[in-house]
Amino acid sequence: MRGPAVLVCLFSLTLAACGRAPTSVIGHARVGAALMGQAQCGACHAIPGIAAANGMSGPPLKGFAGRTIIAGMLANTPDNLVAWLRAPQTISPGNAMPNMNLSDAQAHDIAAYLYTLQ
Amino acid sequence: MRRSAWFIGGVVAAGALTASGGLTIVYGGLFDARASTPHGPIVAWATHTTMIHYIRRAAAPLPPSSAFTPAQTLAGFRAYEADCEVCHGGPGVAHAHWVDGMNPSPPYLLDQSRRWTPNQLFWIVRNGVKMTGMPAWGLTQSDAEVWNLVAFLEAMPDLAPADYQRMRTELPPPAPRGA
Repeated sequence: MRGPAVLVCLFSLTLAACGRAPTSVIGHARVGAALMGQAQCGACHAIPGIAAANGMSGPPLKGFAGRTIIAGMLANTPDNLVAWLRAPQTISPGNAMPNMNLSDAQAHDIAAYLYTLQ
Repeated sequence: MRRSAWFIGGVVAAGALTASGGLTIVYGGLFDARASTPHGPIVAWATHTTMIHYIRRAAAPLPPSSAFTPAQTLAGFRAYEADCEVCHGGPGVAHAHWVDGMNPSPPYLLDQSRRWTPNQLFWIVRNGVKMTGMPAWGLTQSDAEVWNLVAFLEAMPDLAPADYQRMRTELPPPAPRGA
């Protein structure tokens, strides 16, 4: 399922096109939303569409699909987002977001949900 | 006479209907008691909102808390690391992997002191929360020890993840009691 997204990125002339891959190609947004509730993302982030997600420790995630930089240091591409979700402490040691033990598939599903946030 | 008879009959019928509906759920096993699926949105909203309003009401009569000392905050950190971090994580620290299997899942507490007053936090830690897995720490610890934890929760929003890591390294948790 993820092959087409990679191909789109390889053949696209602009990096921005990678970020605009249909979210259904990245993962299952509805599964991602449930995972985000269970992982307590909302304890630190305000997230539209996630119950009780009103945390103020991390940045609000409204409009995530239109964000250009994630974590203050990475281009907002699906691959970068998945890498960040899986190992934020490896990418930016000492930041407040813990490594959450997400599997690759879980990170893809959460990424798919985040890219539905316009 | 006739109207009141109808009224009483209506009340009895409504009561019987409610009771039989309730008993059907109880004895029919019609409530999803699995922890592997989250509450539906209505149950999640009802239980969570009830808890919030209960705590606000119950904690209100407590006397106002005074400022916390550094010794209290430090003692609270050690208790937090020993007893709380496994379920609630910390700045830059995830909860234990098995906690992903809990429903409802315990929240991270980085900014809880911005949502609750110290008295309300004291109430929550001391009395726990039914049906969430949150124990009543007041049953095994003194009020002073519970206040220490509140002191640390109050300090947590100002604690950088690196500071928290340093404290974890330099101040390992005390040996478990009774060990």
